[in-house]
Amino acid sequence: MDLLSVRNLSVDLGNFSLKDISFGVPEGSYCCLLGASGAGKTVLLETIIGAFHPKQGKVFLRGKDVTAWPPEKRRLGIVYQDYMLFPHLDVRGNIAFGLKGQGLTTDQIDLRVIKISRQLEIEDLLERDVATLSGGEQQRCALARALVTEPEILLLDEAFSALDVNTRERLRMMMARVVREIGITVLHVTHDREDVWALATHVAVINDGEMLQHGTPEDLFRRPRPGYVASLMGAGNILTGEVVSETGADLGVVLANGTRLYTTENLAMGSDVTLSIRPEDIIVAREESVISARNRVPVTLSEIKRRGPLTWLTGRSGDLELVAVVTSSGYESLDASLGDSCFFIFKASSLCLIEDNSQAMGIASNIP
Amino acid sequence: MSNKIFKAALGGATVLFSGLLIWAILSLILMPEVSEFVESTLSEEMLYSIKLSLFTSLISVALVMVLAVSIGYVLARFTFPGHNLLRTIVDLPMAFPELVLGLCLLLLFGHTPFGKWLQSMGVNVVFSKYSIVVAQVFTAAPYAIRVVYGTFRGISPRYEMVARSLGCGLLGSFLRVSVPMAKGGLFAAAVIAFARCMGCFGTVLILAGGTRMYTETLPITLYLNISYGNLAMAMSSGIILIFISLGAIIVFEVLNQEVVL
Repeated sequence: MDLLSVRNLSVDLGNFSLKDISFGVPEGSYCCLLGASGAGKTVLLETIIGAFHPKQGKVFLRGKDVTAWPPEKRRLGIVYQDYMLFPHLDVRGNIAFGLKGQGLTTDQIDLRVIKISRQLEIEDLLERDVATLSGGEQQRCALARALVTEPEILLLDEAFSALDVNTRERLRMMMARVVREIGITVLHVTHDREDVWALATHVAVINDGEMLQHGTPEDLFRRPRPGYVASLMGAGNILTGEVVSETGADLGVVLANGTRLYTTENLAMGSDVTLSIRPEDIIVAREESVISARNRVPVTLSEIKRRGPLTWLTGRSGDLELVAVVTSSGYESLDASLGDSCFFIFKASSLCLIEDNSQAMGIASNIP
Repeated sequence: MSNKIFKAALGGATVLFSGLLIWAILSLILMPEVSEFVESTLSEEMLYSIKLSLFTSLISVALVMVLAVSIGYVLARFTFPGHNLLRTIVDLPMAFPELVLGLCLLLLFGHTPFGKWLQSMGVNVVFSKYSIVVAQVFTAAPYAIRVVYGTFRGISPRYEMVARSLGCGLLGSFLRVSVPMAKGGLFAAAVIAFARCMGCFGTVLILAGGTRMYTETLPITLYLNISYGNLAMAMSSGIILIFISLGAIIVFEVLNQEVVL
């Protein structure tokens, strides 16, 4: 049974609404709720915590309907992007806030505050005024305050977004460790795919107030649907074509923009399909016989974009356009420039089926 | 060139107004002899007036703050039909001349079934010391509500949501988070309410009557003595009111830096 489960949830805030959202968060999982800005992630989180009353639908915690429960009865910890540390309390006061009124002695409160502070490496900050803390320190203080009360679920609202890249990466690693040590279930709202790759055991994708897909990161990485999910998960090249040879004893063949592509997907003969190939799954070579992958597409390089350690290469083969990404040092050794001929080589298993192509076609917007 | 003329016009208007205002205040403060001021201030009538003003104003401020915190919080945190109407209603006394507000209250407490019911319960709100407090509360509350409303609006409701997720009820999050975070604005509201109560004249005059040594607050002392031609007493009460207002404005400005009105 899911620890948290949302069923057919609709929320109407006048200028924005959530529409018929259903998903579950299994106990012990780290679930990322992924979506662009304005997708409805925070509204969903705040409905789960009890800030908004749904127009219809229910929220269940351990199978109990908590839709009508006030936030204080739900036992959910929340950490917002802008920390929301109480400015009239020091770090110790903030962390101990939720423990007061629980019938604990001062010594018991102190012990729990010190334990969580050690885990989050903020023990030496306990007497500090929260206004004097750095962003990363404030975030760890907010995490400690939420975790010390041992909530059923920790809800993170863009918890790492306001931090610089290095601090964010350090906090991700700390978060992964702390979650493992405590064994808490987490629902993390984010627009950053890096959070998914680094932390998530489950992902749910939301857009314009609608839940589009949820599953494991592998599910969404390999079988994203609908098209928006494919774009968001960085599926990369998205192609349409017709199945000209059914998958059976041999691989299936799809004719995409005049190019025959092999795939391991189970496809019905004659059907129109949408497929994706991740740019990082494509090997770029000057010779065709470098590797034994089934798909070897001869292309002419039509665009080259260098972005720090990576280089994005666009290749054309007739009407088919594909994008591959290689390391910049790999590109140097390729010794190719605009207009040169290359081979884009990829395995049949890299060509993944997208079941709904309504919202994404061509080369996904995440590619620079 | 036109920029210079524009700046000069703005600066001129500012200097002219503030200069005349300071001149007017100084002309009152510097007019009486020090001995006259001391003698008037220590007179039985003035001491009665100061004590009554302070006593009623302190009671009124306590009542005003209960109202201001309740109404300001409701307006800042909850949305409901008639929200804007309620804001307009509580602001109304600020737009009324005090004499009109006093007349309205006189009719409410003197001639309506509500007023008659209060009288039957032994509470005589008209032409009594109670009426000073009632008049001060109705005059000062709108100012305090505005400041408190602005203060609570400036505090993200997510602080309270975090507190509630940590186990606090609505009252607990209000007392442990909202009120401490709003304390600067709440104190500023109390200070401005105190200044308004001390200076409340028209409403007190109509509802309480300007009876010497009975419902005589400082503004009433000024009014009665200027009517009798006792300028020293009138000016002394005026000077005391100026210093009270000046102190209140300074405290208000210091505390009110972050309040969004």
